[in-house]
Amino acid sequence: MTYKARHGLRSLLAAGALAVTAAMPLKAQAETTYNLALLSDFSGPYADIMPILAASREAIFDWWNETSGQGHGVTLNYKNYETRYDAAQVASLWPGIKSELDPIAVVGLGGPDVAALSERLPEDKIPMFMATAAYGYAWQPDAWIFNPRPTYSHESAGFLSWMREQRGGDEPLKVAILASEASPAYVDMAKGLELYAEEHPDELDLVEVIYTEVQPTDLTAQMRRVARAGAEALVIQTNTSIVVAAKRGLQANGADIPIMMSSHNGLPASGGALGGLEQLEGDYEAYGMAVAADQETPARQFYETLVTNYGLEAPWNVVTAMGISQGLYTVAVIEHAIKEYGADGLTGEKVREALFAEPITTEETHGFLPTLTFTPEAPFPLEGLKVNVGTVRDGKIAIEATGVDVPDVQKW
Amino acid sequence: MVYFINDIITGALIGLLYALVAMGFVVIYRASKVFNFAQGELVIIGGFIVWFTTMQLGLSLWLSVPLSLVLAGLVGYAIERIFLTKLIGESVFSMVMVTIGLLILLRGVVLLLFGPAVRPFPIIFPLKPLFLGDMLIPMNLLIGGIITIVAAVGLSWFFNRTRSGLRMTAVAEDHVVASSMGISVTGSIAFAWVLGAILSTIGAMIFLSGKSLTFLASDIGFAALPVALFAGLESIGGLILAGVIIGVAQSLTTNYLDPLIGGSLGSVVPYIIMLAILLIRPTGLFGWRTIERV
Repeated sequence: MTYKARHGLRSLLAAGALAVTAAMPLKAQAETTYNLALLSDFSGPYADIMPILAASREAIFDWWNETSGQGHGVTLNYKNYETRYDAAQVASLWPGIKSELDPIAVVGLGGPDVAALSERLPEDKIPMFMATAAYGYAWQPDAWIFNPRPTYSHESAGFLSWMREQRGGDEPLKVAILASEASPAYVDMAKGLELYAEEHPDELDLVEVIYTEVQPTDLTAQMRRVARAGAEALVIQTNTSIVVAAKRGLQANGADIPIMMSSHNGLPASGGALGGLEQLEGDYEAYGMAVAADQETPARQFYETLVTNYGLEAPWNVVTAMGISQGLYTVAVIEHAIKEYGADGLTGEKVREALFAEPITTEETHGFLPTLTFTPEAPFPLEGLKVNVGTVRDGKIAIEATGVDVPDVQKW
Repeated sequence: MVYFINDIITGALIGLLYALVAMGFVVIYRASKVFNFAQGELVIIGGFIVWFTTMQLGLSLWLSVPLSLVLAGLVGYAIERIFLTKLIGESVFSMVMVTIGLLILLRGVVLLLFGPAVRPFPIIFPLKPLFLGDMLIPMNLLIGGIITIVAAVGLSWFFNRTRSGLRMTAVAEDHVVASSMGISVTGSIAFAWVLGAILSTIGAMIFLSGKSLTFLASDIGFAALPVALFAGLESIGGLILAGVIIGVAQSLTTNYLDPLIGGSLGSVVPYIIMLAILLIRPTGLFGWRTIERV
């Protein structure tokens, strides 16, 4: 190609680019970028699930930028910060995150984030959106940290009410709890259910509350006590290692007591750690979010879209569902804020106000979450609470029940 | 009453497992006067080696267990050669700081090599417990208890009755003096690390048999710490008594006090006992009392 020809081609390209730019809608030209700080644990106790959780929530922000953000002239920028699931680490990172990103929202992970930032976020006027269930110790009005799910104790109480209904009869359901004092969140999960059982002796009979280490040495003797007490369900909402040790303890005693797990230590994670999902046949996971079962559901279909069109590299399991749920209700709130206040000048405070202004419908979260109606009274919706129940049937995760009502649990 | 006795036995056996892990502390301390803060990390390194040879390479237990012990010994040797040899003659403080660095490094290496996933650990010991009437004794802990006692007797004899063992004690006293007397300081310290790594791997097999493996398992190093300090850092035989006392106290607290107070006093009790004994007798129950004449 001669110099003249090259020069001509360059001029043509430049003119073309100018024409395309001029033809672009005004909104896209005045694109506004808002930042989200993503708190992550790639090297701490949840390092095993973090890559999946992170990929899932990031895929949602990419999906939203492409599908809704463009229309609003808004791009959500995000950055992960490694917290090692350590409150001290979160606290020390926070000033840097604020000055670097000036985020309109924080996407949190767990208890240490809540412990470290619950006093700071109201001052900085930045809301934090969690993926997990809520904690009793954070159940305060005028919150800046929000959970799409009620407390773990709400979820276990909902599951146990359902289980009692399935069993039939008027007798209270005999229940044991296996918890740990390794984290305040773990203690909180047990305390809330203990209070519920105390206030509802006709529904629940708490036969054992056992505290152990996060990697127990042996639980054979403890599981014998649980079996001898006639427990009909064992609630473990801590971690997978405790589920594994409890299962081995039950197996050693020849006891077959169904275990109820939560989302972060659910059936796939605990089954994997036990050497196969079939070892958890008849056990349950229960939480206020879609169960990642093999059945075709709207949530599953949306996940497939993310995989096909947005390059999500995460298996279809509860952790992925948790990341997607978290991302979906976060972008839904931001979208409400954009509609209410416009795309420009959005702040953390406006995002929080938008959360209270209107419910986030289950359609907006593609069936991953029930309709969420937040109020300033609590960091999680107090009405319309539901849990879904998953189980292992024939070696596969199956949906056992959906939309199970959560009973009224008092603050503890 | 049967449950009470059963809880005492189970507690004693868990205490013996702590004693086995604590033996790693003591062996290294007796040979180098270095308190190895990375002992728990040696347990998970050992655990991952057993997992790798058994679950990944698919070797039978008869082959994978001895192979794992050899590989663990090599890891211990490599750690000593890479990080500690150059510090011989330097202050003990420097060596202790290196073990703290090792703690962080080994955790990182495990994450890097094996990833963070929770894995099923092979079933080394039978899952079915031993039933004695109404009493139930977990087989892994029972066999582990026997191994701990045999190891304690053997190592006590080695350190107190053999020339090699006494040489290692001399090395711990003073590197320069031992070296001037023709004792191989590097050889003694390397041997102690090999032994420490092997003991940790045996501890991992007892601790994790049939359960799950993550780097959280390294917390057992901290659980064993009170046993080592309670016994006195030079006493291998003393670990048995210290382990049993701490294990029983923890078991009884967990089973009888915790349900009453609604908390986990059981996890704190070993440290309370440790602090109490250190207040009364700073060298631990059986630690050596050193008299310095100026």
